[in-house]
Amino acid sequence: MTEPSSSPPTSRPYSAPVGQSSRPQPANLADILERVLDKGIIIAGDIRVNLLDIELLTIKIRLLIVSVDKAQEMGIDWWRNDPMLTTSEQGLADENRKLRERVEELESGPRGKSRG
Amino acid sequence: MAERARYLYAITRNVDPSPLGSTPALSGGRLDVVEHRGLTAVVSDVDLREFGQEGLRENLERLEWLEKVARGHDTVVQAVASLGPTAPLRLATICLDDEGVRRRLDEWHDALHVVLDRVEGRMEWSVKAFADPVQAGVDTSGVPEPAQGGGAAYLQRKKSEQTAREHREADAARVAGEIHDALAASSSASRRLPAQDPQLTGHTGTMTLNGAYLVDLDEVAEFEATFHRLQKEHPDAALALQGPWPPYSFAVLEQ
Repeated sequence: MTEPSSSPPTSRPYSAPVGQSSRPQPANLADILERVLDKGIIIAGDIRVNLLDIELLTIKIRLLIVSVDKAQEMGIDWWRNDPMLTTSEQGLADENRKLRERVEELESGPRGKSRG
Repeated sequence: MAERARYLYAITRNVDPSPLGSTPALSGGRLDVVEHRGLTAVVSDVDLREFGQEGLRENLERLEWLEKVARGHDTVVQAVASLGPTAPLRLATICLDDEGVRRRLDEWHDALHVVLDRVEGRMEWSVKAFADPVQAGVDTSGVPEPAQGGGAAYLQRKKSEQTAREHREADAARVAGEIHDALAASSSASRRLPAQDPQLTGHTGTMTLNGAYLVDLDEVAEFEATFHRLQKEHPDAALALQGPWPPYSFAVLEQ
């Protein structure tokens, strides 16, 4: 997210063509949605649609339930290096494993014990 | 034959729209302009099955559709902004025909000119600041760890952790305010937008500033110099500069 120090100048002549390649950085989806849904000129057209129902919160929830493949395709992979998530997942996995072992131990009784 | 309607991207004025011919419109069509009383609306045909009331209600719930349309809308708005002063319309502003477009230009004529006056020769920059997630973490170095973790010692440690965290948050908020004030002084207009959710953007740490700045194109160098000075002065704020963007945050009608 931080601007690299060697980044090209962010200004360009007003008349310069605006193409995908000349954009300083592709704006991320959050920046685009924030602006096209929340900002700009609001004039009622002939088609009435309540964009207020499409809050960023709703979108966030949708992002969270979007399939992992789709999310990665879209460049969303924050969970991969989110320490809180990965540790809690790790913690859950550990807890699951311990519980499974405990259940096996209880279910199998002395017979299981002698076998293990 | 499918029913068509006119999708409005942006309003501009006094431009030669011919370069827009190379910009793709939504639904794969081409961009058209509707001119009326000195205002130019950039529009294209869309299918009412996709963009009618019912279609929109369903489609807006589909993230892939929303993303595609949002990016398509933004691409056109950027192209218009490279030609002249631009007032982007909010996503999914749709009239049934050109006559409907002209009626809106008529009704909002004065207010739209005021908006175009405000943004003429200016573009929008975004500056975000983040509180370092490591700094924001729990620092217990100042508190001696008791040999036997008694309840009182535990509570005391928790309390001082919380106090330290509150101080860091207050500091980060104060620094964000100072950064915003300095950038605001170097721009024509400024707005602080709500912080974005890390789960939506993928950033780490807390977004302490989500600022939008309307910068005169003659004063871009000065604005960028201010940014780089602030970046040096506040290395912990992890400042990020993006732009130029069309003046979305400043093209709003006075109510």
